Amino acid sequence: MTKRQKRLFLLMCVLLGAFAVSPVSYGMHIMEGYLPVTMSVCWFAVCIPFWVLGFNSIKKNVEAHGKSISILAISGAFIFVLSSLKIPSVTGSCSHMTGTGLAAILFGPTAVSILGVIVLLFQAILLAHGGLTTLGANTFSMAIAGPIVSWLIYKGLDKAGVKKGVSVFFAAAIGDLFTYCVTAFQLAIAYPSQDGGVAASLVKFLGVFAPTQVPLAVVEGLLTSAIILGLESYASSELTDIGFLNGSQKA
Amino acid sequence: MQYQNLIVFLIACILAMLLVVLLGAKKLHERRERLAHSHDHSHEDPCHGHSGHGHGFGKLKHDHSSGVFSIDYYAYISAMRGWNPAFKVFFSLLVLILCILFNSIYVSLFVLITMGFLIVYRGKIPFHQYFSTLTIPIVFVIVGSITIAIGFSREPMGEYNLHLFFFYIYTSKESLMKMANLMLKAMGAVSALYLMTLSTPSGEIISVMRKVHVPKLFVELMSMIYRYIFVIMETQRKMKDSAESRLGYVDFKTAVKSFSGTASNLLVVSLKKANAYYDALISRGYNGELLFLERKKALDAEQILLGCSYILLMCGVFFACRIPPVV
Repeated sequence: MTKRQKRLFLLMCVLLGAFAVSPVSYGMHIMEGYLPVTMSVCWFAVCIPFWVLGFNSIKKNVEAHGKSISILAISGAFIFVLSSLKIPSVTGSCSHMTGTGLAAILFGPTAVSILGVIVLLFQAILLAHGGLTTLGANTFSMAIAGPIVSWLIYKGLDKAGVKKGVSVFFAAAIGDLFTYCVTAFQLAIAYPSQDGGVAASLVKFLGVFAPTQVPLAVVEGLLTSAIILGLESYASSELTDIGFLNGSQKA
Repeated sequence: MQYQNLIVFLIACILAMLLVVLLGAKKLHERRERLAHSHDHSHEDPCHGHSGHGHGFGKLKHDHSSGVFSIDYYAYISAMRGWNPAFKVFFSLLVLILCILFNSIYVSLFVLITMGFLIVYRGKIPFHQYFSTLTIPIVFVIVGSITIAIGFSREPMGEYNLHLFFFYIYTSKESLMKMANLMLKAMGAVSALYLMTLSTPSGEIISVMRKVHVPKLFVELMSMIYRYIFVIMETQRKMKDSAESRLGYVDFKTAVKSFSGTASNLLVVSLKKANAYYDALISRGYNGELLFLERKKALDAEQILLGCSYILLMCGVFFACRIPPVV
């Protein structure tokens, strides 16, 4: 290795380190063109059953109460706006919420699979975050896997009698972390490392995205629980519209 | 480097650009006249009221770091807006998929350069604006690609090794090539996507989706969400301004409190609006389908010619520059 090569290589590693610790917002959207075609198709196929389930539940809802289409639409727009806002952070850099935990707790995992794919589509079209070929993979991690985990944790802790603020915090934070693990896994199976295979690659991706995603998950948990508590204290009549306080989680 | 490949690649690029320029020149005169006659193009836009907000956002805050809707803004002012929307959607999707399928450095570079040229020259999007849009995914490209290229181990294993106290970071020429290929492929794909998003407003993309029979309820939800986004964004901006003017974001703790307060209040206000909008829709005879009057944008010979020859050129570059693909 010549001196110049060594310097370049060092520069590359420093660059990686610098970008990895700068909390980047939409870091967990796999960008357009980043997955091979077979992988993209596979992730779309994985999503299809969830989409069918979600679509049918929304359809039934809209047929029963016509008004719910307007409520669903405004909820989707709300998730989009929430995820495009800069959230407060200690360092003053800009990062964003994923909103998956909040959406799952408010609207239930079935509706979120459809709302989520629309939000991700608009994020790709309007904000250039994520992409069309990677839509399947992104939907699976952010609108299916994350919300389901959040919702299960929320329900479980709620049944166990944990205080609402606490259970929402854990649901949102762990849902966020799970989303990040799924994305790292998606990247790892698309690009296994040469000598360690998928496992080594997974460790690399988890490690590189951890400095951003772990603090972000904590902040997201704090914000989500504050939002839910705020809603509960002065919006119970609106919340019955989306079936939050009834215990029926269907939007 | 293989000089033959380079030459083929350069010729293809120049041909594609010439094509764009020549086909444009023929039409330019005609279009200027048409534009002079009808400068009220806002009328054809069914969601004028809401997109108006988008314009305001775009104009006020140009750079992508703060302006959330700069892409939406440029989609409305693009000179390629008069093109047939279905053509733009399918053309850019086809180029996007081919770019990923071919998986060749030359094709990716070809797409990156010529798509950029098409968007800037024909779409009349300012170059620095296009460039700053291209840099949105740059962090993901850098972090993701370098992660793929390097490995960690206890012993020096690769061609290039870097010793860091306990372990080595290593890489090889092959993985560096793979990294470059992936970066270019992703950027090429992104620029193909931009051809669609920087020239076609979302309303038109949604109407193309309706034409290819995406489920009605899904399309309906999409068009409603698109409009609501601007309403909620506006409400949020006002709430944030008033919180900020009262020192609501002065330190981390207060900021968390204001942010979550704003967010939960935003949801309440939005839900109230959803009720009002539904009443408004019903009172105008809404029965589950929003239909908009659209201006017919004919698919003319220029677009077909450009599309076909572009795809042919792409295939040409691929077959002529066939280096063993780096998997």
